[in-house]
Amino acid sequence: MNTQVLVIDPAAGLAREARAPREEGLPGDFAIWIFILAEMLAFGVLFVAYAFTRAGDVELFNASQETLNRTAGAINTLVLITSSYFVMRAVTAIKHGLSKDCAWWLGAALMLGGVFVGIKAMEFHDKFAAGITLSTNSFYMFYLALTFFHFMHVLMGMIILAFVIAKAWRGGYSRQDHVGVETGASFWHMVDLLWIILFPLVYVIR
Amino acid sequence: MQYQSQAVAKPYFIAAIGLFVGQILFGLIMGLQYVIGDFLFPAIPFNVARMVHTNLLIVWLLFGFMGASYFLVPEETETELFSPKLAIITFWVFLVAGALTVLGYLLVPYSTLAEMTGNNILATMGREFLEQPLITKIGIVIVALSFLFNITMTLLKGRKTSISLVLTLGLLGLAVFFLFSFYNPVNLVKDKYYWWWVVHLWVEGVWELILGAILAFVLIKVTGVDREVIEKWLYVIITMTLITGIIGTGHHYYWIGAPEYWQWWGSIFSALEPIPFFMMTVFAFNMVSRRRREHPNKAAVLWALGTGVLAFLGAGVWGFLHTLAPVNYYTHGTQLTAAHGHLAFYGAYVAVVLTMISYAMPILRGRAANSEKAQNMEKLAFWLMSISMLVITLLLTGAGIVQIWLQRISPTPMGFMAVQDQVSIFYWLREGTGVVFLIGLVIYISSFFVKGGAKAAA
Amino acid sequence: MSTTFTKSMARNIFYGGSVFFFLLFVALTVDTTHTLPKRDNSQNITPSVERGKKLWETNNCIGCHTLLGEGAYFAPELGNVYKRRGPEFIKIWIKSQPTGAPGRRQMPNFHLTDEELDDLVNFLKYTSEINTAKWPPNIEG
Repeated sequence: MNTQVLVIDPAAGLAREARAPREEGLPGDFAIWIFILAEMLAFGVLFVAYAFTRAGDVELFNASQETLNRTAGAINTLVLITSSYFVMRAVTAIKHGLSKDCAWWLGAALMLGGVFVGIKAMEFHDKFAAGITLSTNSFYMFYLALTFFHFMHVLMGMIILAFVIAKAWRGGYSRQDHVGVETGASFWHMVDLLWIILFPLVYVIR
Repeated sequence: MQYQSQAVAKPYFIAAIGLFVGQILFGLIMGLQYVIGDFLFPAIPFNVARMVHTNLLIVWLLFGFMGASYFLVPEETETELFSPKLAIITFWVFLVAGALTVLGYLLVPYSTLAEMTGNNILATMGREFLEQPLITKIGIVIVALSFLFNITMTLLKGRKTSISLVLTLGLLGLAVFFLFSFYNPVNLVKDKYYWWWVVHLWVEGVWELILGAILAFVLIKVTGVDREVIEKWLYVIITMTLITGIIGTGHHYYWIGAPEYWQWWGSIFSALEPIPFFMMTVFAFNMVSRRRREHPNKAAVLWALGTGVLAFLGAGVWGFLHTLAPVNYYTHGTQLTAAHGHLAFYGAYVAVVLTMISYAMPILRGRAANSEKAQNMEKLAFWLMSISMLVITLLLTGAGIVQIWLQRISPTPMGFMAVQDQVSIFYWLREGTGVVFLIGLVIYISSFFVKGGAKAAA
Repeated sequence: MSTTFTKSMARNIFYGGSVFFFLLFVALTVDTTHTLPKRDNSQNITPSVERGKKLWETNNCIGCHTLLGEGAYFAPELGNVYKRRGPEFIKIWIKSQPTGAPGRRQMPNFHLTDEELDDLVNFLKYTSEINTAKWPPNIEG
């Protein structure tokens, strides 16, 4: 991510003023939704590929699935859902013009993101210590690929949140103009949603 | 012409077209060697003709990109080029180096050429598309650096538009990834793995930034659509290009000894690669239909739309056709690959360079657009070249499908050479279609020499 | 279409997305590099194989043949030629070129010494033992 996440160019600002306030339509910038759509497509195909490959070798998948740390996965699910709730509160706060509240809620979400990353890193550490790699078998290929791909998205989301927090703290958003917050929030919700599909699919369903 | 220094683009465009002719002539020689095996043997063996054919393509496209940049950047940055003199020096250095390299290919046995040019110091030669002698490769780096320096300095002193930024980023990536051509480990798997960092990350990565920027520039000029709108779409399209194309490199890692998970990564991400090309087509048509002015240069508009459609067909559709690992298992390294290569290069890169030439050349010659008659000839050339390239692609696809069936799927597989005899009819038709392409090219070049009735300068 | 769609956001997503996917690519490359020794037959790279690869390159074999499916499509796949034809056939074949058969595709004679032929064959043997995920589908390449 570059440092210009929150820079608003004059033309964009003008366009926004002309249109705000608005209630209906997609929250955040349309560009992020194109990106989200592409990401969902990539993950979607990965999920379908997982399901098909699993159907071809159910026993291997079930046996390997046994070795996963389901408790860690479940905790992480709760962590992400809670963080998404915080992000939602942040958006509500900025809609009421409460910049500092918005920043605090986002800060809490960012912290939970950190918790997720910590727990996930421990899981990765355990698997790598056990000598498991992408080439071990097709279950672990999918497990590592999907969770690592998602892990990178969480890191990306945290960077985005950090930028939004910094700007919100400086009072860079207002009741009228908070597209940046909504854009960041949309990305974070996507990251959360992907995990909500990923966790049962890879950790639980047998 | 708004800026004097844009004039340096002209020799670049002329050289590009000249080398294009050479490329097509050698293509016809190879096409004939496919059916009359000993044609021109031993004077020009197939491998030499192919090397000249592909290297000329790369070099003339680079000439085209450079010419396009020298034309585009002053107008975008609203300032004269940092150093027109350097641009002209670079031009001659590149042209002479390119000509010497091709002469080397044609006149000296390749192994002797390797010995003469320092391949024993650092072995980089003899890999597909990177056959250039070490000194030529170093020359390319020097030319690329001086070119980038010139463009960057111009950019720094002028207006920084998205188009010029994306273009410069693409050119920078082009130079950076070319450096991997100097890495040639003995380990064949690693050699191939990083070879694709040049080839794939060029044509399905950074070159698409250049393509997008040039297309966006011409579309702004010929449609008069708001820059804000066009640049926004440019960003969205190149974002999609890179997020699908970078991991999409994996579609080259299926069968070269890399880990097998690349079959998943490569299949999934490269299956998404047609999306940006489709968006580009929609984008081009959308902008033209929303045009705010009737630009007198209709030929340039045709080329721009053609780029959208043909790039989508060649790179998008024909790429998707064989990108999934289970399909690619059978199609890898057959005439189907050749079919895709031809239409993708023509549709994406040849077409975009010719779009730029079509738009810029009349202006460089002091008029907004060519005469009606010249434009009609150019349009005829567009249709002849584009349709014949499409037909060539279909014929090679036919040859590829038969080849795959006889050689790889059939319960009693035939040997390679026996199969080649079976598909010779496709090769004959391809050669005939190639002649039509050449006729199109001759008409294209003649259109530059049509006299009279020019539209007034812009 | 939504009401907001700004160029600055499109640009930020472009930079962020590109860096993100390039980093993912680098991560996969690191894993590939660690996994390769199990597949790439590099334990069998001898000085002879090294010389053989150089001969392969300096005679531009890739200008007509494919090697593991990559190259020109004018002449047979050679990634598995060692298994298809065996070492002696390969050497005799190379030495007897060109066939001069009228109208047939011709391979030049590269005037290789016996040691060079051995090196080239060793390179092709090494190549044929790379784990290519069972490609090509059959011995014909």
